[in-house]
Amino acid sequence: MKLIIFILSLTSITACSELGVKPWERNVLAKPEMSLDSTPLTSALDDHTYFSKEASSGGRGFGGGGCGCN
Amino acid sequence: MASPCEILVETRDHVLAKKLIHIAANEAWRIERKFSRYRDDNILYQIHHACGGPVEIDDELALLLNFSEKCYQLTDGMFDITSGVLRRIWKFDCSDNIPTQKQIDALRLLIGWGKVSWQQPFITLPEGMELDLGGIGKEYAVDRAAVLISQVSDLPVLINFGGDLYATKPPNSRESWQVGIESIGGLNKTGIIQVKSGGIATSGDARRYLERDGIRYSHVLNPKTGWPVQGAPKSVTVASPRCTDAGFLSTTAMLNGVAAKSFLEAQGVPYWIQN
Amino acid sequence: MKKHKKITMALAVATSSLMSVTPDVHAEESADIGDWDIDAAVLYYTESDRVSAFEPVISAKKQIDTDESISLKLTLDSLTGPSANGAVPSINPQTFTRPSGNNGYTTSANETPLDDTFKDTRIAFNASWEQALTRMTRLTLGGNISNEYDYLSLGLSAVVAHDINQRNTTFTTGVSFANDTIEPEGGLPTAFGVMQPSGTLQPRQTDSDDKTIFDVLFGVTQIIDKDSLFQVNYSYSQADGYLTDPFKVISVVDGVIGLPIIEDATTNLSQVVYENRPDSRAKHSVFTQYKRNIIGDVLDVSYRYMFDDWDINSHTLDFRYRLKTSETTFWQPHLRYYQQSEADFFRPYFISGQHPGEGTDNVYATSDYRLGEMTTYTVGLEYGEKYHDHGWSISGEFYLQSISEPTKKVGQLVQQELYPDVDAFMLRFSYDF
Repeated sequence: MKLIIFILSLTSITACSELGVKPWERNVLAKPEMSLDSTPLTSALDDHTYFSKEASSGGRGFGGGGCGCN
Repeated sequence: MASPCEILVETRDHVLAKKLIHIAANEAWRIERKFSRYRDDNILYQIHHACGGPVEIDDELALLLNFSEKCYQLTDGMFDITSGVLRRIWKFDCSDNIPTQKQIDALRLLIGWGKVSWQQPFITLPEGMELDLGGIGKEYAVDRAAVLISQVSDLPVLINFGGDLYATKPPNSRESWQVGIESIGGLNKTGIIQVKSGGIATSGDARRYLERDGIRYSHVLNPKTGWPVQGAPKSVTVASPRCTDAGFLSTTAMLNGVAAKSFLEAQGVPYWIQN
Repeated sequence: MKKHKKITMALAVATSSLMSVTPDVHAEESADIGDWDIDAAVLYYTESDRVSAFEPVISAKKQIDTDESISLKLTLDSLTGPSANGAVPSINPQTFTRPSGNNGYTTSANETPLDDTFKDTRIAFNASWEQALTRMTRLTLGGNISNEYDYLSLGLSAVVAHDINQRNTTFTTGVSFANDTIEPEGGLPTAFGVMQPSGTLQPRQTDSDDKTIFDVLFGVTQIIDKDSLFQVNYSYSQADGYLTDPFKVISVVDGVIGLPIIEDATTNLSQVVYENRPDSRAKHSVFTQYKRNIIGDVLDVSYRYMFDDWDINSHTLDFRYRLKTSETTFWQPHLRYYQQSEADFFRPYFISGQHPGEGTDNVYATSDYRLGEMTTYTVGLEYGEKYHDHGWSISGEFYLQSISEPTKKVGQLVQQELYPDVDAFMLRFSYDF
């Protein structure tokens, strides 16, 4: 049930075409620090630490590589 | 570009300044390579040698064509990028070589945006016709360079490609950039414009004209008649949020000949005319 | 005199459309074609009195063509120091046998039993290749291999990203497949096998086993306005095979006095049984992130909800604020809150006589605190400098794992802390050029 609500909300988000910018308004969004994963190396290090100490993992994207730590 | 280009960057970081200048210069050269009619390895060459067949073009050229088409519509056909062929007979070398009406009439058959088939992404030029983006190329390069620079840095930058310029923001050390307008017929600066940000473009015939029997023919040609525009000012400078806008307005003002001033008045933009 | 129309509005619109030729501006480290963009980082992680890790990593990305790039990454992970073996503390000293079966180690009275056998170095290599399939679609193929003394992981992944709406919306779909093989020293223990004194035969089943992990991801990234964007991802992960931790044990204690049963009096070996986890795990998670530019500063918040068929559900809340202190410097405070519920087979200990028999594969139990109910907190601060062609940053973080103590304990266990808080410090340095 939760899943259905989630998928419905996903599709309704994308139906919002009032959201967004014109291509020439992207100067701030183009900055490296505005990227969703602006420091992939350190976020991979963090993910690996938390993966080995907690029961959850991932969410953001695909990691790279398993280990014997969990 | 065939004119001196400079980029002013206000910063203590000279390494960054060099990087920004390289970005602007590379973009200018890229645009020049891509849209130069003197090269045989770019899209323009392909279009001019397609013998009346359609050519598929990329997004950037498509946008430039859309823009040119809009300019054509806004000026009732006076701004026409197919009018470049006239340079074959009109050589503005300060001499008195005026072409004959017969020569002009022959070329007028090859002018007219209405004869071009433009259905994005395909352009079809009748054989013998040409596209000349010189009218907006430099101003477009200025705006593009400004876009690329502002993606990398927030510094105040002034880009000046041969008199068509754009300032990203006011300098930190004083109120505004000081831009001089060249006086026609001399090297003394006629006036100083205070620019905080935005574009400035100048259309003028300080160096290119023909003169015969006491009549000065400006290098701004009317695409409908094939003759230079009569009574155009010697120089028109326009300020507008973007350099491309400013360039279009100053060119259109010249195309309006004696009505240049009233045209610019109607647009409500800052302008400077030299007659 | 001809009346002139004011065309500045139409002109502004036309010029704006013209400027939209900006190529797909994905906020990435822009590299010129042909250059290698190198990033390096090193993490030093240390828990008080427990495990320490030293993890250097280096990655190189090369723009092969305007729409094609490759990325390579090498990671080294060196782990030293003890970690909890899952047994309970006692008012008496205890002895346990190392996984090899050859020798043992002791735990003092009233101390959490820690096994310091783990000294391992892991090396991992990732490669990925990204190519634009169409103007609006990109494919990324990835492969990774990770190897340590007793563990090998091989994986492949494929992700497709598709933009619509002038690149304001991006749909991402990805799949990944991995196969991990574990071959610990001494072999894999039998489920609920009883640990034997060192030098004698240990309860073992096979030398090695493996697991396969299949992941699928669906995501939407949406630009809200010129200063902000957000992302929502749903992912599903299915793991099958050997999911048990071969080094973790569960104490067997007396039902009244709570003392660990002595398995072997001569060596003072406590009675512990090896844990056993289900051979499959299905996880669902929903992740959402929001980033906003605020006058040059960047706010980054994310939330993840996870639930699985082991009855664990978790919430992760992450908050970062990148404070721009100058054109080239920044500070970034970081807060992370994590909370998880315990697995339905979480058992801190067994009462004597109530533990499953050796070899009972279809019953599950673990006392590993990482599957217990816990809340963790991270507080950190980062300082960095960023120039156009290089940058570096340093960060220090405190990480506290606060595990829920079981409420009903027997005998001496009442005065023991079965799951003391684990606190760790993480120091990270990164450099890119």
